[in-house]
Amino acid sequence: MAEDELKTVRYKMTGPSVTQRLFTGAALLGLSTFIVALIAVSVGPFNVPFSNTASIMLDLVGLGDSTADPTERAIIQSIRLPRILLAFMVGAGLGISGGVMQALFRNSMADPGIIGVSSGGAAGAVVVIALGLNTVSGFFLPLGAFIGSMIAMTVVFVIANVGGRFSMATLLLGGIAVSSFLSAITTAIIILTDDLTVQRQIIFWIAGGVDMARWESVQIVSPIILVGVVITVFAARDLNLLLVSEDEARSLGVRLGLIRSVLMILASLITGAAVAFSGIIAFVGLVVPHVMRLIVGADHRVLLPLSALAGGLFLLVADTAARIILSPAELRVGIVTAMFGAPFFVYLLVKNRSRVSML
Amino acid sequence: MKSITLESPSSPQVGSNNFELLRVKDLTVSITGTKIIDSISFSLTRGETLGVVGANGSGKTTLIRSIAGLLKPDVGTIRVQGVDGSDLGHRDRARIISYMPQQVQSHPFTAFEAVLMGRYPHLGRLQLEGVEDREIAFSAMRRTGTESFADRRLDTLSGGERQRVVMARVLAQQPQILLMDEPTASLDLEFQILAMDLINDEVAKRNSGAIVILHDLSLAARFCDRILLMQNGELTAKGTPWEVLTPENLRAAFNIEGLVEPDPVTGMPHVLVLGSEKSGSKKSVGFGRTVHMVCGAGSGRQLMHQLKVAGYAVTAGVLGTGDSDREAAERLGVKYVSAPSFSPISESQHSEHIELINRADHVVLCPMAVGMNNLLNIHAAAEGSSLFVIESPDGKVSDYTGGKALELRRSMVERAGSISEASLLFELARHALE
Repeated sequence: MAEDELKTVRYKMTGPSVTQRLFTGAALLGLSTFIVALIAVSVGPFNVPFSNTASIMLDLVGLGDSTADPTERAIIQSIRLPRILLAFMVGAGLGISGGVMQALFRNSMADPGIIGVSSGGAAGAVVVIALGLNTVSGFFLPLGAFIGSMIAMTVVFVIANVGGRFSMATLLLGGIAVSSFLSAITTAIIILTDDLTVQRQIIFWIAGGVDMARWESVQIVSPIILVGVVITVFAARDLNLLLVSEDEARSLGVRLGLIRSVLMILASLITGAAVAFSGIIAFVGLVVPHVMRLIVGADHRVLLPLSALAGGLFLLVADTAARIILSPAELRVGIVTAMFGAPFFVYLLVKNRSRVSML
Repeated sequence: MKSITLESPSSPQVGSNNFELLRVKDLTVSITGTKIIDSISFSLTRGETLGVVGANGSGKTTLIRSIAGLLKPDVGTIRVQGVDGSDLGHRDRARIISYMPQQVQSHPFTAFEAVLMGRYPHLGRLQLEGVEDREIAFSAMRRTGTESFADRRLDTLSGGERQRVVMARVLAQQPQILLMDEPTASLDLEFQILAMDLINDEVAKRNSGAIVILHDLSLAARFCDRILLMQNGELTAKGTPWEVLTPENLRAAFNIEGLVEPDPVTGMPHVLVLGSEKSGSKKSVGFGRTVHMVCGAGSGRQLMHQLKVAGYAVTAGVLGTGDSDREAAERLGVKYVSAPSFSPISESQHSEHIELINRADHVVLCPMAVGMNNLLNIHAAAEGSSLFVIESPDGKVSDYTGGKALELRRSMVERAGSISEASLLFELARHALE
């Protein structure tokens, strides 16, 4: 009796376990995503009634009776579903890599593109568009963006390792320098291009969006992001220790150099893949881990998986909003995330002032 | 922590034949090319708390960071429970050795989460903490008095509270070797004592060992079985607190003058820091007062240092060439009457001596050996108006004058009483305050 009471007191003081927090959060976010996805499949310039959506969805997983309208079915199958999946995957990737970067840099100002990956992707994409290669094949654009991301990341890593001694400070500052340099190149190309259509395409791409989604994009992005999420979850405990202090992490058995390089490269790969197919979508990678930290705490074993789910949900909501706000015209999702995300973020910061810290 | 609970879920490894937990041999470590510690050797046995003291930059932190595996030694070996430290895997090491850094950084985890991290090395990569781990962490928090803020984020806690949380994490790690870098630095007076009690208690209960860096020498003396004294990267003294914490060692290692007396509670050395040669100020009680010392053969050397630091102007009686008190007087700039060695004090030297004594506010007679050559010094001392006779530490004063010197000394003790060397400064201060 007394022992039970003591346990209750301890539980109250120490809170629910990792598993409890993780499962509760995942269940809530998963359910919300499912509901939003159903809405997203149905709404748009061409509205599909919910009942038809349901039967088409059942059809697609092989349980339906194929009485659905073929146009509705085609729109859902080849346009809306890949777009929804891509939005979710890109959001998840940005959410988790933002969380990883914030832990690695021990700073909640860090975002997934902190070491130059986003600007590298932008520069790569802009080069492809300026050369007109994107009209040759639809996959030259993501390919160029991804190559740009990887080149930027490699250069920043080389800078940080100069003299054989790796330095996080140099990595951060190198990332800022490389980003500025690449942004300058991007801007120069935009200005020097006479063709207004090309200029428009570039600005359109940079603003970020998932409207070009095809099943092939989903097939390419998903494995990268899923593998990234799994490996990151394996290293989540090490990230906890890293956030406490480097010395304590190492004295508690973390192989600091190895973990840091693997995670940094992984987060950059995920971001590079996301940027390649969706352009630069601001704010998701910065805000989502931050907000989740306020809600579920700093334990990365809970924080990172839930940041992935919440990032996916956030981008899905934003993309759906982008499609319907000015319907039949479309807003770019990158604009929606920043325009609606930023005020919401400020609201959270002000409301939770006492709990907001640099980490 | 006020009521230290002795329950611990895991059993101590009693009965192990291996008494030696750690052996450090010829350890030399450089940081970015600069040699920080130089061929240090010592060992740590089970049940022992080892204190490390030394001035800033003497290499204390580098020493324990090397043992924690955070720095690679240039030369030398660190054997942990008989195994070469470089053969230990990261996680194996973390199960044996825990490290508490000097700086406790702020982070967004709750205190309980931070303590629970001490269990990580005991878990598989994807294994989550079980009920037992949570119990261990919670019991560690109770022992450090941190359970009342278990669910608060570390960045909302004070420096001392954070330090206790890290201490709880170290306990939850259940290590064989506890390395702690100034664990009491941010703690209030009560928690300093309780924290050190806790370390001693943990070491005794689990038959483990602790290496603790401390700046408070009295705290080190009270709670450590042995003390290592470091100076410029070298180990200049090791042994029991009484062996290591001598005024000479304090002067060499810290550049301070200290009184070392038995602590009235523990009987261990208690160090009262008087000051350093550079610290004299007009606020010291000795400022503007002159103390004349009648000494010789090293009997007044310690007092000369202490009086200078306390701000007194010091003069000294007739000192022969080659006398160790004379060397001290030279080094400290003490004015003294000089005489050639092995020859009797001349009349002019004697009158010069009397003159110094008349000018002094106080005269101190040290328990030096007296022969026919320096008998006049005792006579001169008797002229002093405010006289202090210092007791000999072993109660004996060598007399080679056939009893004359002892007779004189006795009459002076009758007149003025006698005091121990350590209480002279207190007596002088009392005089100054009256």
